[in-house]
Amino acid sequence: MTRYPLAIAVLAAGVGFNVLAGPPPGQVDFGKFTPPGDGGQFVEIQINSNLLSLAAQVVEKQQPDAAKLLRSVQLVHVNVVGLTDGNRAELEKRVGQIRHNLDAQGWDHNVAVQEKDGQDVGIYTKTRGGEALAGLAITVIQPKEQVVLINIVGDIRPEQVAALGDKLDIKPLKDIGAALKKPAPKDTAPKEAAPEN
Amino acid sequence: MNPPSLPPVPRRSALRLWLWLFVLAPLLLFLVLAASVASFLHLGSDARALRNGLIKSSGVEWRQQIAVNAGHLTLDAVRAGLSRVKLDPAARAALQSVRSAGVGVYQLPPGASRPDRAAMLAAADSTMTARGWERVVGVMDHKDLVAIYLPGKNVSVHHLKFCVMVFDGKEMVLVSAQGNPEPLLQYALNQSDLCAQARRLAQR
Repeated sequence: MTRYPLAIAVLAAGVGFNVLAGPPPGQVDFGKFTPPGDGGQFVEIQINSNLLSLAAQVVEKQQPDAAKLLRSVQLVHVNVVGLTDGNRAELEKRVGQIRHNLDAQGWDHNVAVQEKDGQDVGIYTKTRGGEALAGLAITVIQPKEQVVLINIVGDIRPEQVAALGDKLDIKPLKDIGAALKKPAPKDTAPKEAAPEN
Repeated sequence: MNPPSLPPVPRRSALRLWLWLFVLAPLLLFLVLAASVASFLHLGSDARALRNGLIKSSGVEWRQQIAVNAGHLTLDAVRAGLSRVKLDPAARAALQSVRSAGVGVYQLPPGASRPDRAAMLAAADSTMTARGWERVVGVMDHKDLVAIYLPGKNVSVHHLKFCVMVFDGKEMVLVSAQGNPEPLLQYALNQSDLCAQARRLAQR
């Protein structure tokens, strides 16, 4: 054992590094969702870096800007769960817990909007090195319809979400992205709107 | 001095060998052909495992409507056969893209209770994850259930594999394919009005 101290040290460091590597800092674990009964809506999309890189390769020649956008993203995770009388309370509580965890983990709470109809939107960003974004998390509760949770890992800003949704053809991303682009309606009450980055 | 006499040539053994070959060759050919034909009527191993997992979780006896499979050899032969035939560019691009493909269609028997789609999705996830696949898309809406799986590792534009499952409340369709989508995507990207056409079709 003592003949190869350097090799053992390198191996141990490698193993230790792998153990410590874990998920990237911008990734949020929303947990598993149970599809609602009664034909309720349930959408789960998880596009990882392999697939994003593939999509970037495909559009590289025709749309270099789109390829650049796709390459700046490592993971796109979308959950849409329809609200029913059976799961409403549990899901609202769970979204509250996710938001609490994001605050506790040092995510910047950029936007919080609660509209009169009860729609509740939260936008969180995680920065890396003070400038680049490590991740973006969006939580939406539409009380009569659904809960939408979006996590995008990579250097992408909220205003680029619609473009990403367009390129990947993911409707919830397009919808949320379009809503983010619109000016805040008069009946909204932003609780907090001070991006720290 | 005369050379020592050689042992007699075993003519009868050689004759027997040729006779056996004569009898066995057609039999082997028949077996290979039968195996090839049988392989056309069976899904690939991943799609078969997915189908078995789904059927077991649904607790319903499904009726198989169709199950066809075309492997590398078959599609290579088709490509070679059609290489000099004038084909529509889209068909040519599709043929160049697909390396192997399988489709299975299964129907619920009349009067069968509608299976629990959440349980079906969970079973499909469990089966495919164990085989190194990841679900990239899962959608349940009204009666529909859609799941798309890709390999967890080594996803490349030159060698893409996928498995798709669609259930509309009555019929379940399983599609598995492997290939290089580049020719097809290149064709699609070269069609300036293809996106508009696709949107128009989607709106219908």
